[in-house]
Amino acid sequence: MQRVPRWSIHLALVVICFFMLIPFYWVLKTSVAGENIFAYPPSLVPKDPHPFYFIDVWYDIPFARFFLNSVVVVTIVIVLNLVFNAMAGYALTRDFAGKKAILFVLLSCMMIPFQATIIPAYLITAKMGLLNTYLGLALPEVSHIICILVFKANFEAVPKSLVEAARIDGVPEWKIVYKIMLPLSKPAIATNIVFSFVWTWNHFLWPLIIISDQDMQTLPLGLSYFLSYFEDTTGALYAFCVMVLAPTVFVFLMVQRQFIQGLTSGSTKG
Amino acid sequence: MLFRKRTREMLLVAFFLTPALLVFFVYRIVPLLWNLALSFAFWSPGGSYEFAGLEHYTEMFVYDDVFRTSFVNTLIYMASMPLAIVVALFVALLVNARIRGRNVYRTIVFLSYPMMPVAVGIIWQWLYNEKVGLINYVLQSAGVIDTPIAFLNSTALALPSVIVVGMWQILGFFMIILLTGLQSIPQSLYEAAAIDGAGPTKSFFRITLPLLRPSLFLCFVIGVISSFTSFDLVYVMTEGGPAHATELLITYIYKTAFGLSEFDYAGALTVVMFTLFLSITLILNRFSGGEAGKVDGAN
Repeated sequence: MQRVPRWSIHLALVVICFFMLIPFYWVLKTSVAGENIFAYPPSLVPKDPHPFYFIDVWYDIPFARFFLNSVVVVTIVIVLNLVFNAMAGYALTRDFAGKKAILFVLLSCMMIPFQATIIPAYLITAKMGLLNTYLGLALPEVSHIICILVFKANFEAVPKSLVEAARIDGVPEWKIVYKIMLPLSKPAIATNIVFSFVWTWNHFLWPLIIISDQDMQTLPLGLSYFLSYFEDTTGALYAFCVMVLAPTVFVFLMVQRQFIQGLTSGSTKG
Repeated sequence: MLFRKRTREMLLVAFFLTPALLVFFVYRIVPLLWNLALSFAFWSPGGSYEFAGLEHYTEMFVYDDVFRTSFVNTLIYMASMPLAIVVALFVALLVNARIRGRNVYRTIVFLSYPMMPVAVGIIWQWLYNEKVGLINYVLQSAGVIDTPIAFLNSTALALPSVIVVGMWQILGFFMIILLTGLQSIPQSLYEAAAIDGAGPTKSFFRITLPLLRPSLFLCFVIGVISSFTSFDLVYVMTEGGPAHATELLITYIYKTAFGLSEFDYAGALTVVMFTLFLSITLILNRFSGGEAGKVDGAN
């Protein structure tokens, strides 16, 4: 790499970044376009940009309701993931009979993609009476095996002496997790939150299957229904896309490091 | 005393493990077995189970052309992933160089990965648009083509067009994995090689590539997973069309189960999809020395 001149590296990277960013630019441009978006040739910059398409989205469809649904489901998933995964991760740092078997089961479950479970998962959810509910949307995702393993690794890095000392002082187990382990496991917590957020926020197939009530639609589902009703005939569709992507971009740019680490640590260290 | 302590320990462990295990039992293990049961049965919602033997499998492998198409398409999707990995490796090498602003480059390349696939599909559909899409406009202005191409309505081009989007989205993820791999290669190896008179090309093929093997395999496994799970992009961009040209196993399963209510047949399709997925991952796992399979397939 040393012999290659720097400017050529920069040039190559600028070209690559251009290709990575152009779809974002194009949707943003379309969403504020003042001109007819079906005019040919397409204008490369928006003429008299206006926010009307965004207003359309806000008033024509229950965007706020979709947004709320997404936020509620994501919140349930994040909170339960933190609780369940931390508990399981802690249990797996202890020695007990059958630990190997449990780890084997967990690692095997990791090989079952969610997509291979949709039919029975739907039937089970229907049987529990949870179709069209937040809980039904959240339940399959309230624990991720990768996140359990991340917690386990993080807990194992906590000095044993600290835990022993607390135990001798008679501190109950749940308090050891809550007061000693968790404050020392911020990276694992960040991983859990990022993972849960991205997967649940973007998840489309599961809501598509179990939600038929319009009031319960999450954002991806609302977006796809919008597409099937209006096709691509209005700029509002692209304003909708921008509104759906904005939170992810925002969160991503705010906590970039945790974000990238969170999404990759599961697959590279798990 | 010792006994009591151990019992308490067991109770504690059991209590802590139960919620997570319950979730995996209900939403992973039970569905797997249920699929298997469905695949050997005649069943429709509300009806009773009747033994079907291998009926569904015979139907699938002998008569079902759509199944064959979706099977092949899934394999094509998978087989095109190495291309994305090569590009990602190139990008990873670039952003691994000591240059100013490399973190900005990394951020930009990674940005597409966590974005909602449904929205990504809609955006790209717009870019591919036959009349006013940016891609057709650029190609026409540059004189590459005379008449606009209907990318997503062409049986020949629809699948590659969708795959390009899949690659665009996953590229940044591959890059980060390969970058992590690159950074774990000890610098001293390169110094030693340079002293021995090895040029950059030689040290790339003799040091970088061999040591990067686990990361490359990991990328491929993730690519394999994405070929089995890319439901959203296909559903939004083409709905599997035209004429099933972009049908993947997962979209076909969805349509069979939730469009036609043929849950039993869809169960059999799922069993085949899962078996294929598992065999490929296990084979890859063998090759890579056992590290690559550890990826959650739920994405």
